[in-house]
Amino acid sequence: MNIEQMRTFGTDETVDVVVVGTGAGGAPLTAELAKKGLSVVAIEAGRHFALEDLTPDETEAVEINWMSERLSGGDDPTAFGPNNSGRGVGGSMLHWGAFTPRPDRRDLALRTETGEGRDWPVDPEELLAYVERVEGDIGVSGPTPYPWDPPRRYAYAPAKRNAPANLVAKGCDALGIRWADAPAAVLTRARLQDHHGERGACVNCGECHQGCRTDAKASTANTYLPAAVAAGAEIRAEAMVHAIELDARGHVDAVVYRQNGVDVRQRCRSLVLAGGGVETPRLLLHTGLANANGQVGRNFLAHGATQVWGRFDEPVRGHRGYPSSLISEDMMRPADADFAGGYLVQSLGVMPLTFSTTLVRGGGLWGPELMQRLEQSRFMAGIGINGECLPSDDNRLTLVDETDEFGIPRARVMFTAGENEKALDAHATAFMLRVMEAAGARETIVLARTAHTIGTCRMSVDPSDGVVDADGRSHEIPNLWISDNSVFPSAIAANPALTIMALSLRTADRFLASAA
Amino acid sequence: MPVTLFLLHALGSSGQEFQRLRDLLDDTVDVRGIDLPGFGSLAEARDSSLETTVDHVVAHLAAHARGRWMLGGHSMGGKVAGLVASRVLRGDAPLVGLAGMVLMAPSPPRPEPMDEERRERMLSWVAEGTISEQDAETFLKQNTAEPLDPGAHESALTDLRRTSPDAWRAWLETGSRVDASAEVGTLDLPVLVLAGTEDADLGASAQPGLLASVYPRARFIPLDDTGHMIPLERAPEASEAIARFVADEILSGPVVPDDWSALIAGDRVDPRVRGILNLRAVPDDRGYAPSVLDLAQLTLLREIADLVVPQNGPAIDIAARVDAQLARGEGDGWRNADLPPDPEAYRAGLDTLAASWPTDPAAREDVLRAAIEGRTDAEGPLDAARLKLWLEDARNDLVRQWLAHPASMAHLGYDGFATGGSPMRGYVELRLGRREDWEPAGVGGSIATGDAA
Repeated sequence: MNIEQMRTFGTDETVDVVVVGTGAGGAPLTAELAKKGLSVVAIEAGRHFALEDLTPDETEAVEINWMSERLSGGDDPTAFGPNNSGRGVGGSMLHWGAFTPRPDRRDLALRTETGEGRDWPVDPEELLAYVERVEGDIGVSGPTPYPWDPPRRYAYAPAKRNAPANLVAKGCDALGIRWADAPAAVLTRARLQDHHGERGACVNCGECHQGCRTDAKASTANTYLPAAVAAGAEIRAEAMVHAIELDARGHVDAVVYRQNGVDVRQRCRSLVLAGGGVETPRLLLHTGLANANGQVGRNFLAHGATQVWGRFDEPVRGHRGYPSSLISEDMMRPADADFAGGYLVQSLGVMPLTFSTTLVRGGGLWGPELMQRLEQSRFMAGIGINGECLPSDDNRLTLVDETDEFGIPRARVMFTAGENEKALDAHATAFMLRVMEAAGARETIVLARTAHTIGTCRMSVDPSDGVVDADGRSHEIPNLWISDNSVFPSAIAANPALTIMALSLRTADRFLASAA
Repeated sequence: MPVTLFLLHALGSSGQEFQRLRDLLDDTVDVRGIDLPGFGSLAEARDSSLETTVDHVVAHLAAHARGRWMLGGHSMGGKVAGLVASRVLRGDAPLVGLAGMVLMAPSPPRPEPMDEERRERMLSWVAEGTISEQDAETFLKQNTAEPLDPGAHESALTDLRRTSPDAWRAWLETGSRVDASAEVGTLDLPVLVLAGTEDADLGASAQPGLLASVYPRARFIPLDDTGHMIPLERAPEASEAIARFVADEILSGPVVPDDWSALIAGDRVDPRVRGILNLRAVPDDRGYAPSVLDLAQLTLLREIADLVVPQNGPAIDIAARVDAQLARGEGDGWRNADLPPDPEAYRAGLDTLAASWPTDPAAREDVLRAAIEGRTDAEGPLDAARLKLWLEDARNDLVRQWLAHPASMAHLGYDGFATGGSPMRGYVELRLGRREDWEPAGVGGSIATGDAA
């Protein structure tokens, strides 16, 4: 990203668009709008990270995560921080796992199929066309042909299969389950990225979640943001938006952010919020905007992400290599399902602190048993899921009285798995146990977990029933848009980033069409 | 194996000045003096600049420092030692295992306070070549409280007379004047500072002012009736103080195995990572004063830590490390909505458990188990449900502090920190039961050879 020669706008100027957030939701749209000649300022709470700023040390690597405290409640409180929340130019794509399954058409019409959940007010074919564009823009590796979608092509050969992947493959083979190398936004050969330079090939360090140091993993910081800057967009880092100002008509007129302790007002003709499923609703609840129908913060969704770990005779050492290098989509609609939707299956390698946290929080371990599991950890291979989550009015983000370092009230997220989530989890757990046993595991442990922050500002056709319309535009404030995972009407099983980027491109087109 | 103490000598001296300490500490500490360029056996060396001297020491240590070791110095050597130690703790040297420092009348990182007239006079001694016997005698007289015994005197004279005039000048004109305080920074490790009450600018009363901000854990010990030549003047007292310091502050905590130290020191590990690991391997402060907890709370947290993360062998003070983490305001980005902020939750949780905590260690496990499972009968600031939630956080914090230590990583066979260098190297071998030739054998598996490789 050529920051030195980046075009900058004065705060006395009224820019066409301010985008809040530079992750998967904000960056593609920023690039698209800038390319069309709009003046765009993208405001980011975190700082710039050069490759040499990143460290594989798990404790220190949290500097790329959103570590300002969030409160989590309900029967199944979901973990934030390194589990799912990024902070920095590139957003959560600095730490994401780069696992890039495409959204399943069936998931986008779950209500029609099952009577449960929600249909997306988005044409699946249209969305998938954007998905393919994103794959080309960022570089995705994967198997060709793809077993569950034979016409699909990936531009890069799959990441190298690591030991957990080989073990899970063995278990799947024994049970007649189809598996494949996982689609991953990780380059397996170097690529010249427009406006950025060469991105190296993956070196199998296994430290995707700590931030990729070879640029092999796509983030918006090595794809859409350099393109956006080259097209004339400005990125303002270390700037925390805490107020939105309206004009007499009730349209957004400006945002106010704090940078280096100073409040700065930036006037704009339109505002796009892209802070993700926690920060976007938090800002709207804090400012009291776009919420006359009380929908902001409702229907928080988290993917069921239970893991099963098996202990093997030989060292697995799954911290080596791309962590999730095997996928199975066979459980997207299991024949014996007693639940709506389905789940994706992936093999798992893991870093030691992440694993210990899952042992403590998800497995309830301590004392000699905890130490024994840690000592065995190098002999363990994992399998995990990403499961559908149905919207529920009980799962909700609200604000508490306690404030953060900017004086903004902290978010509290209540999450309790519903009957459908529980049935899916039980099915998945039994399935994963079978696979690991078939793979030859001496023993297995089940670790509960949820992942991703989705929902809270959902898209709806009916203005009373959501926060934005099918284009991503606020039902209430015509020049306010949202472009991130908070608009997802349902969780869909696919890991969200690819879909968020596709929606971001679509929202940009809708925005341009509305202005035309 | 005794811990090794590498010592850097004073101006005009050599590693020989530590021979008596070496003899006296024979059983407990392996003292090794290092000759610096321009002095002692290296009197012929051309370049005696501070940078070259630091490089020389780093290279010497890279060849000789193994296991757990300490670094120290006398006078001028103290400044050099500070510069070397800062490189080690930043990860900018290929060194692992620094556990503490021993400084004797050290010159500080900042410009050394020195009377200008005295500096000029000392410079005049080398105006026409090496230092004369008469000037050397004057130097010794000025720097000792009482005359040295004949053996020490003879040895000191020999070193002074063979000192390179250039090296003498380099220190007086440049090295002593360099302000290295920014480069050295703050070094948070066990440090013993010995200083004489009869010394002048670098004496016992001056040292805390010169060093407290550099070495927050420094233990200052004044030596009565002692001038500047501590190793020669007060070898018995100094060696006793060093032995006590080593026993109290250096020998705690686990040691990183040699093959793992070599890996961390090597070029597969980025300097920043090496620095992070080196800092974590520094022995814990035995006298750690908690900042978020009070002493009773810290004691209880230590007892909980013993149950949650039982450590075989020398233990890491993970409870103190958690207190320090809380003091830095570091959490994991979220907390249970039913709990107050972390510092408050820790205090409340510990106070609740304290009420029912048994004095009999054998009975503690059951009490903790009940609390972890949410069925405690303890009454206090947290009810049973909240106590359970807090204990989940506490268990997680404790085990993460344990795991972050390089000796724990070695114990578990995790070498993922060694993915770095330029160009960056990751793993080539990802298969079950296999390792690469650069990996310590302790990670398990066999090195692929032949057709399978």
